[in-house]
Amino acid sequence: MRATLETTLAHHVDLLTGSTPFRRLESGEASRQEYDDFLANLIRAHVGSPPLVAFLYALAPPEARADVLHNLLEELGLEEEDGVAHPALLRDLADGAGLTPVLPELERLAAADLRQIACEPLLYGTLKEVGLAALCEVVAFELMLSRVASRIQRLLATHRDLGPESLTWFSHHAEVDIAHAEQGLQHIETYVRYYGIDEEDASTIIELALRDNVFLKRYFRQVSPTTVGASPG
Amino acid sequence: MRLLRATVHALQIPFVESFRHSAHARHASDSVVVRVVDEDGVAGFGEGAARPYVTGETPDGMVEHLARDLWPAVVGVELPDPVEDGLGAVDALIPALDLPGVVAPNAARCALELAILDCTLRASGASVAALLPPGRDMIVYSGVVSAGTPSAAATTARQMKLVGLGAIKLKVGTGDDVALVGAVRQAVGPEISLRLDANGAWDLEEATKILAALAPFGIASVEQPLPRAAWRDLAALRAVSPIPLMADESLVTRHDAEVLLAGEAVDLFNLRVSKCGGLHRTAEIARLAADAGVGVQVGSQVGETAILSAAGRHLAAWLPEVAAVEGSFGTLLLTEDVSVASVRFGHGGRAPLLGGPGLGVEVVDERLVRHSRRVVELCGPGLGP
Repeated sequence: MRATLETTLAHHVDLLTGSTPFRRLESGEASRQEYDDFLANLIRAHVGSPPLVAFLYALAPPEARADVLHNLLEELGLEEEDGVAHPALLRDLADGAGLTPVLPELERLAAADLRQIACEPLLYGTLKEVGLAALCEVVAFELMLSRVASRIQRLLATHRDLGPESLTWFSHHAEVDIAHAEQGLQHIETYVRYYGIDEEDASTIIELALRDNVFLKRYFRQVSPTTVGASPG
Repeated sequence: MRLLRATVHALQIPFVESFRHSAHARHASDSVVVRVVDEDGVAGFGEGAARPYVTGETPDGMVEHLARDLWPAVVGVELPDPVEDGLGAVDALIPALDLPGVVAPNAARCALELAILDCTLRASGASVAALLPPGRDMIVYSGVVSAGTPSAAATTARQMKLVGLGAIKLKVGTGDDVALVGAVRQAVGPEISLRLDANGAWDLEEATKILAALAPFGIASVEQPLPRAAWRDLAALRAVSPIPLMADESLVTRHDAEVLLAGEAVDLFNLRVSKCGGLHRTAEIARLAADAGVGVQVGSQVGETAILSAAGRHLAAWLPEVAAVEGSFGTLLLTEDVSVASVRFGHGGRAPLLGGPGLGVEVVDERLVRHSRRVVELCGPGLGP
């Protein structure tokens, strides 16, 4: 299962980096609005991540619990004495990009996304399947960021003139997600084994969780005109 | 109570993944949504889905028919109270016109009928359930697998089984149907009910052979095996088919229903609110079917939003017996739906009844605007464009 999972995730990462909107950002062909939309979507996708990691902690098998707790504390900036919460790093990114006026709206949208997940009828019969789908999505992002965060950081520095202090979130993910991604793949296997999920069912849940490219869906979704349209410049 | 203005939205909501059958491949919702507003500012929403190979309508043709022919007949007119006067009173307001090249402009009619119903019922705080009293407290939906390779169809069917769906419809007529159906049956096992939909892909001779070959896979019904107009051939096929036949594209109007019943051409009708011209006309066809002992399925439009899904759910709840219910895929298919609360079914295909005022869904105007490729504003005479 591990090999299939790695191949599938790698394919999804390739779909992101090979996509037209990503290539436009990377080549500098994109407009200022496209960079701002991308930033807004990225902030919206990740600013509400601590509760999701907390959910995974609640369901983590004993073997994986310490690692997931570590990740959660890191998200919250509590792992080190001078740690900074990841949402705060994303706020720095918004400030540096001049998106401060729309940050409250992005946070509201992120909260609405989480609320929608909680309110939508559950497709699966038990929490073990819901947890696997969520775990799969989180690991997918960790793996993608471990490979692509530096490229995103570079394209934003080069074509959107963002300074290193605004881009700390990316440095952080480029470094730590290499370990997280490796751990995450192991966690999926541990999780499937712990909850006794049939391997074919597990593969089906993973296929469903990733069936529409989750990175393109989150990073290049249409942005509400009430969000970045209000940004200066 | 009178309508003052309307907005017609020709939508283009991208799909999460494309959907194919023998007659069409679809990548986005192209529904047309009508938003009407009465003199007190109460808004109501209706939806229709143009299908050139079914009703003969196109989305732009729908918009023009609504603006040119239907809206002028209802704007400023004293509206009936549907709870007192019945569903038929709203239907009677809307002109029934023949349009060149169109079987029946039913999707446009449906969009306006639903919008008026939603608006008038909201104004009085009543639900569509007051007009179509539910006979059950929950709807159980079935899945629909897009046409594709046997391997891809089997994967999707396995996903549907994993989320608890007990019945699945499979689009056929695009390749080796025996291999396709065999792969899906093997993937889901014998306990899942399988239906087929050929979208008129075969002629009588082909259908006779293929259905005989597919019967061993345990098929509950086959939808529209032959083209729309071939109702005599349908009757001939029914006489020899080991699988019950269902009419879909052949069943657009009440006249179609009468012809199919008189010819004893099918075992089942696929009722779709948009295709059949709204809730009133669909309910009338359902009554004809029940009187003739013909079963019904509540079908849906691929890419329908929460508005049309809600109408289908009210219809399905009202029917005394229903062979299968489709629709309410919501964000399983659409990248974004238009309602505040999701109407998507949950595990096992189960979904609750909708009890709020009107159709029971709250539409987010901003989403309609954002997903519209064309918006037409309509006002009353003398009120300007």
